[in-house]
Amino acid sequence: MNAQRGNLGFGLGLRSTYYQAILEQQPAIDWFEIVSENYLVAGGKALYFLDAIGEQYPLVMHGVSLSIGGPHELDRDYLRQLKHLAARVQPAWISDHLCWSRGNAHQLHDLLPLPYTEESLQHVAARVRQVQDVIERPLVLENVSSYLRCADDQFSEWQFLAALSELSGCELLLDVNNVYVSARNHGFDAWTFISSLPKQRIRQLHLAGHSDYGSYLIDTHDQPVSDPVWQLYQRTLQHLGPVSTLLERDDHFPDLDVLLDELNTARRFAAQALQGSPQCA
Amino acid sequence: MRLSDWQAQVQAYLLNPDAQPNPALQASLLGSAALSAEQGLAIYHNAYRARLLEALRGDYPAVHGWLGDEEFDALALAYLGAHPSQHFSLRWIGAKLADFIDGYLIPAQAAPLSELARLEWAFTLAFDAVDAAPLSLTQMAELPAEDWPNLQVCLLPSVQWLVCRHNSLALWRACKEQGDFPGSQPLVAPETCVIWRDQLITRYRSLAADEAAALQGMAVHGWNFAELCGELAHLGEQAPVQAVSWLRQWLADGLLQRVYPA
Repeated sequence: MNAQRGNLGFGLGLRSTYYQAILEQQPAIDWFEIVSENYLVAGGKALYFLDAIGEQYPLVMHGVSLSIGGPHELDRDYLRQLKHLAARVQPAWISDHLCWSRGNAHQLHDLLPLPYTEESLQHVAARVRQVQDVIERPLVLENVSSYLRCADDQFSEWQFLAALSELSGCELLLDVNNVYVSARNHGFDAWTFISSLPKQRIRQLHLAGHSDYGSYLIDTHDQPVSDPVWQLYQRTLQHLGPVSTLLERDDHFPDLDVLLDELNTARRFAAQALQGSPQCA
Repeated sequence: MRLSDWQAQVQAYLLNPDAQPNPALQASLLGSAALSAEQGLAIYHNAYRARLLEALRGDYPAVHGWLGDEEFDALALAYLGAHPSQHFSLRWIGAKLADFIDGYLIPAQAAPLSELARLEWAFTLAFDAVDAAPLSLTQMAELPAEDWPNLQVCLLPSVQWLVCRHNSLALWRACKEQGDFPGSQPLVAPETCVIWRDQLITRYRSLAADEAAALQGMAVHGWNFAELCGELAHLGEQAPVQAVSWLRQWLADGLLQRVYPA
């Protein structure tokens, strides 16, 4: 157990497909990550199962619509609701993405990449500090899969994440699959990305599957984790030591047992990777 | 290019159905051997529509079933063009579809389709409305006789109320049960459909006009039980019997909360 990072072990993204099976089977999953927006509702089934599952498992809140890099004012109502949900859930931490999902006029409902410039860095860092003032804890930000790269970039994505963490105090959710997808799409080295991040800022890892379109990849979260991502995951753990690991599946949902097997694969790969490596990064 | 200008260009590109980036946006991007800038932009352009269409199909399965993929998507894209998303959650993306249909189609086509859309939206509203404990038959059995005349109730927060002039409920049921589409028909007389959540189960029931008027009088307009009986005076001695019968049904359904007048 890594006390500094509060290693939660091996978790699964909580999806409504599995609510009933989780309560009936009480599977050996160490923790669940919820998509915060799914529970920003007044009542009903989602909140019922959230409470029931939260009584038995540690939870982490993972948002998709903070739009930390957006051109708009931060949505104070959203933050208020997020804080209210956090009071109910008592999450181990709260995360979202380094992206923008809302334009100056409309919600775009996607995790859009930012230009990695000094202007973006100052813009995002100031907003991270505002969010942290509201949620009263460090915000954890995830690297997104991307399909665009800006000609004006002054930083690599990993340099940007490191600088942002340093400037704002935010922590990092390292999505190993997203690194792999973006590395293939943009032609950078995935290990350079991971090994250049500040180790102590990495709060959590994500694992998921992607789809291969020949020359490029799309982050679809609808199939098992690929072999190259498992290899990158093992190398990441050798570098970092144990870190909370979460498996995401957002489509083509198999039986819960299939995801439990995949989570056990993560446990096995992690144990192999960590044999003989330091237990704390 | 300033960050906010670049973001405005990306937004304009995503919202434009044509998928043609302007030259300034194109010039701001770098492609790679694996993925050109044009391909990368197209991925986001496709994903924006696919995600929102999937959400609307999820909210309106019966409207989708009626129209089929092509017509539904044409309607949905026209709707999204007129009402780009303003809420952070996709939960609310379909909130104005029924009203949009009323203005988008000629009235004869719009009326049954928008009614079906209103019905489906009502189910979504009941599904995640705020939780509340309904007044139970057991609680009512313990009510002292002298409290009955002044008894007042209101609807539970999840209760949705829709007056149907077409067989929308039959269409919705056929979709839900994956049965044959029965065809849209006007009803002989309008029917009131109430939709609500009982614990975690979303339920619905059609009410005849007299029961609907009684429920509305008591739970919306604030009649107490004595006033309900008074409204049923034309039934003579049967008035209290009918009033109690309906009240028992509404309690068994779990539609009501007690109101304590100040």
